[in-house]
Amino acid sequence: MTAENLASRMARVQAAIRLEQSDRTPVSLMMDYKFPCRYKGVTQGEYFRNRRAGNQLVIEVFDELGGWDMVQAITSTTRDRDILEAPMRIKVPGKDIGEDEVIQWEEVEVLTEKDYDKIIEKGWKKFIYDFYPRFRGWDTGEYHSRMEARAPREIEQQRQALKFWEEREYPVFGGGDVFTPLMMLSCCRTMTKFTMDLHRIPDKVQAVMDAMVDDLIEVSIAGVKAIGESPSRWIPTKLLVLERGGCFYYPLRIFERFELPYMKKMVEAFIVEGITPILHFDQDWTLNMPYLKELPQGECFIQLDSCTDIFKAKEVLRGHMCIMGDVPPSLLSLGTPQEVEDYCKKLVDVVGQGSGFILGVG
Amino acid sequence: MAELADALAGLNENQVARLVQQELDAGTDPMSILEECRKGMDIVGERYKSGEYFLSELIVSGEIFKEAMKVVEPRLHAEREGQTLAKMVLGTVKGDIHNIGKDIVALLLKAAGFEVYDLGIDVPPNAFVDKLKETGAPILGMSGLLTPSFESMRETVKAVEAAGLRNRVKIIVGGGIVTELVKRHTGADAFTDDGIEGVEICKRFVREIK
Repeated sequence: MTAENLASRMARVQAAIRLEQSDRTPVSLMMDYKFPCRYKGVTQGEYFRNRRAGNQLVIEVFDELGGWDMVQAITSTTRDRDILEAPMRIKVPGKDIGEDEVIQWEEVEVLTEKDYDKIIEKGWKKFIYDFYPRFRGWDTGEYHSRMEARAPREIEQQRQALKFWEEREYPVFGGGDVFTPLMMLSCCRTMTKFTMDLHRIPDKVQAVMDAMVDDLIEVSIAGVKAIGESPSRWIPTKLLVLERGGCFYYPLRIFERFELPYMKKMVEAFIVEGITPILHFDQDWTLNMPYLKELPQGECFIQLDSCTDIFKAKEVLRGHMCIMGDVPPSLLSLGTPQEVEDYCKKLVDVVGQGSGFILGVG
Repeated sequence: MAELADALAGLNENQVARLVQQELDAGTDPMSILEECRKGMDIVGERYKSGEYFLSELIVSGEIFKEAMKVVEPRLHAEREGQTLAKMVLGTVKGDIHNIGKDIVALLLKAAGFEVYDLGIDVPPNAFVDKLKETGAPILGMSGLLTPSFESMRETVKAVEAAGLRNRVKIIVGGGIVTELVKRHTGADAFTDDGIEGVEICKRFVREIK
């Protein structure tokens, strides 16, 4: 058997994304610290008190389980995350919630309806620049000085992570996350209030989204480019966080007006800059799958979490878009090894037929 | 008063508010107004099941119903006694602070006539048990959106058993990642990831208990 190396793993993953044949279906578990800590008997709270030690656990568990074809190791800087991800109240284990409970985000109203006019007037970046320090309870000048000072250090850490995995012959994909305007507003207003906004003031909501999307694109691209490494060493990606715009929550007419145009704009802008968009679909998007054929062929991939019907998704997207997923959390945690293996085989045989599939968790 | 049910089913919040006030001012029995609102919610449920409505319409109708109840409920008083379908204890389990799904289901259950004791989020097993004992509720609903919530659900069912209540309490678990596997693992009687289906299951529980 030919020894695996960076080039062979990279080729396998890229072939799946480009919908080309390769030797086998690539595998990627996208494992962060949560499982390794639990597996090694370390509490979630301990991870947050000593992240260096916790990150070492991730590497140990990766090695112990045999590794997989690509690693997600690049995130946005804290400064960029302020702009690209929803400002929500985070509950940290060992501090805000139980010692061994999982980090969670509290759904409370962070943006009010009055903030809509401010976003329309200023654009998202300028609005967040003023909003975030107040949200965190900091002095504005001090907050931004700290974020600016931190950014180069964080970028250097990303480059070190790239170098680390390259030396171990594993391709890295990453570049951080970005919330679509719908997801951002839903999280910041709360789903209930945002849904009422869509019902009561849809034109205003659309105007807010129009004022957000270009800033989200600009900061996303700049953040990935700041890592500055050669594309052959890693797969620059941008993960679009998509949960609340799908058919589990809203009829298609809402998706068509308030999610799809912005998602398309972001995807197309990222592709032009050599960034592979990852469409991370939480919950059920089965009815929305046909719309993905409006996106460029073979240039991005979708992640499904077991709520979307992955087999129907393959029927729709065969030959157009790569699918990653979707071993269900309940099966992985409660099923037998044989049940998990059988499901993985079914995924590889059916969803992996003809390429365009990366086996992963849901 | 059929106009009120139609207005609610059509998600016309201004018209619902106007009609509710109009009926109250005309001296209409508040229970009749409540029943008409419930009929509207039943229509919403039917439209959801047919695929015409989605979760968003359940949210909007729930909010409209809630606003209507703020006006009607203070007038109900003793008329409510004996009018509820059944009592139910509901909460998101320990370790989990997600509340959206639970809150929507709580609203739908109330609209369907259940007397809901919503314990909120991050609820430990003993809190569920204490409330079941206090209220005599025959139905327990647990919500969770995280994998660790499976164990919290299981521990709660065990706590209900240890308290000697399992024979008289029906248990339903729900949430986006809850499956038949989770139901079996936790020892619950039913599972769902669909609010309307959850209400139907609870109504079935009531028929089984009687």
